Amino acid sequence: MRLELHKIHITGLDFADETYTSGGTLFINKNEAEALIAEDRRFAKVELDLACPGESKRIIPVKDVIEPRVKIEKKSYFPGFFAPMEKTGSGKTLVLDGAAVVTCGPIVAFQEGFIDMSGPGAQYTPFSQTRNIVLYVEPVENLEKHLYEAALREAGLKLAVYFAKCCADKEWKADEIQVFEKGDTFEETQKYPDLPKVIYVCMNITQGLLHDTYLYANDLRPALPTLLHPNEVLDGAMVSGNCVSACDKNTTWHHLHNPIVQSLYARHGKDINFLGMIPTQESTVLDGKLRAAAMNLSIAQQLGADGAIISEEGYGNPDTDLCLNAKFFENAGIKTVLVSDESAGTDGASQSLADATPELDAFISTGNVNEMIEVPAMDKVIGCKEAISLLSGGAEESLRSDGSMFVELQSVIASTAEIGFNKLGCEWI
Amino acid sequence: MTREIERVAGIPVVQIATIVPIMLTVGTNRVVPGVAIPHPTGNPAMGPEGDKAVRRELLLRSFKAMTTPITEQTIFEK
Repeated sequence: MRLELHKIHITGLDFADETYTSGGTLFINKNEAEALIAEDRRFAKVELDLACPGESKRIIPVKDVIEPRVKIEKKSYFPGFFAPMEKTGSGKTLVLDGAAVVTCGPIVAFQEGFIDMSGPGAQYTPFSQTRNIVLYVEPVENLEKHLYEAALREAGLKLAVYFAKCCADKEWKADEIQVFEKGDTFEETQKYPDLPKVIYVCMNITQGLLHDTYLYANDLRPALPTLLHPNEVLDGAMVSGNCVSACDKNTTWHHLHNPIVQSLYARHGKDINFLGMIPTQESTVLDGKLRAAAMNLSIAQQLGADGAIISEEGYGNPDTDLCLNAKFFENAGIKTVLVSDESAGTDGASQSLADATPELDAFISTGNVNEMIEVPAMDKVIGCKEAISLLSGGAEESLRSDGSMFVELQSVIASTAEIGFNKLGCEWI
Repeated sequence: MTREIERVAGIPVVQIATIVPIMLTVGTNRVVPGVAIPHPTGNPAMGPEGDKAVRRELLLRSFKAMTTPITEQTIFEK
């Protein structure tokens, strides 16, 4: 399977009469884009804003971040959402690399977060480095929360696909073409019979109550673990629909860029044989957790895996899924490395995972979600600055009268992302 | 809290909790498995009467757990 990402490097944003790219700038027809989203009658207000690196801007509360992309020939993306239901991962995709659609609006649930484009808060999130088109919406009165979540999730995807499609329809030239190519597991194993076979298990929040993840537009919660070719992951098969804690939610942008998939891919055929990714569940029922762990192992065994990388999403009860996966895999003779953040209290002295097991003996930490940080006031707040009082990691007293905030790290979007897309770690002392 | 109540006050405690491995990790002595994280002590999907039956069964099982002598961490399954 061969996937080509045709990337236009976006280094600036501006509003204009048309939507297109030129000289690294993404020009946006604001009225047309807003009208497109306002077609959804679930929104009472729709407004676009721009936020670029280094600006004194805060975006709050953020739900999801999406990279603008479109299949070059079919002019669609995200199967089941804004593309026909078909397999992803092959052909040519136009990527507005460096640009991001950020969805924002009055709080859906308590686990959304904020992005600072400058100052000390900016270093904790990758989205202080992207050129952000912020979609701010307000829902119509009495819209039920789950319908509001669905509306906003779809609006973000729609806008991202729309921007890329507009650019694809005009004149453009890729600054870079990135190719991902790999055969099926049988072919690759014949090609590299002596390399250790490594599988990646990507745990996803699948807990209902606005904590969901979508695979080919299908809710993963009532689904079973399955196997994806890495190209499918990197080409729009996975979509975030969850309001889990801001710090460790895998946004749709994260899935498209999944750094664990990309790193394993880069080493495929060199020192490992990368088998693919198992997107799996984190259930709210113990039997569901046991079932997912058992089936993850079953898939890995069918492929003859020697080793597994397992990443968590969220914290708390999913720590049990992490432990069960480690236990099942290790006991079956498959070496595992786990990637997760820690919830170790504001002083870092508490037990950092809710569960523990002796098999969990190779662990990569992506940071302590409870760490306290101070962020100064920004000149402009896009969204609702008061929302911090309701967010996980925020409190009534977090927002001070001068506009600065004293908050837990977990209120910053993607600050401890467990697929590794951040700059934090922990040292053993 | 479960362990402290038992240690300091000497009152036997039964913990109804969904994710049993966590209870075993933290040292709970009497565990009654709950239904699901969003609704540990009932099952709204079964309708009002079914839900009440689930709740009643859990409570009766908890009383039984409370009065059963144990020598190690024990899970009281249905």
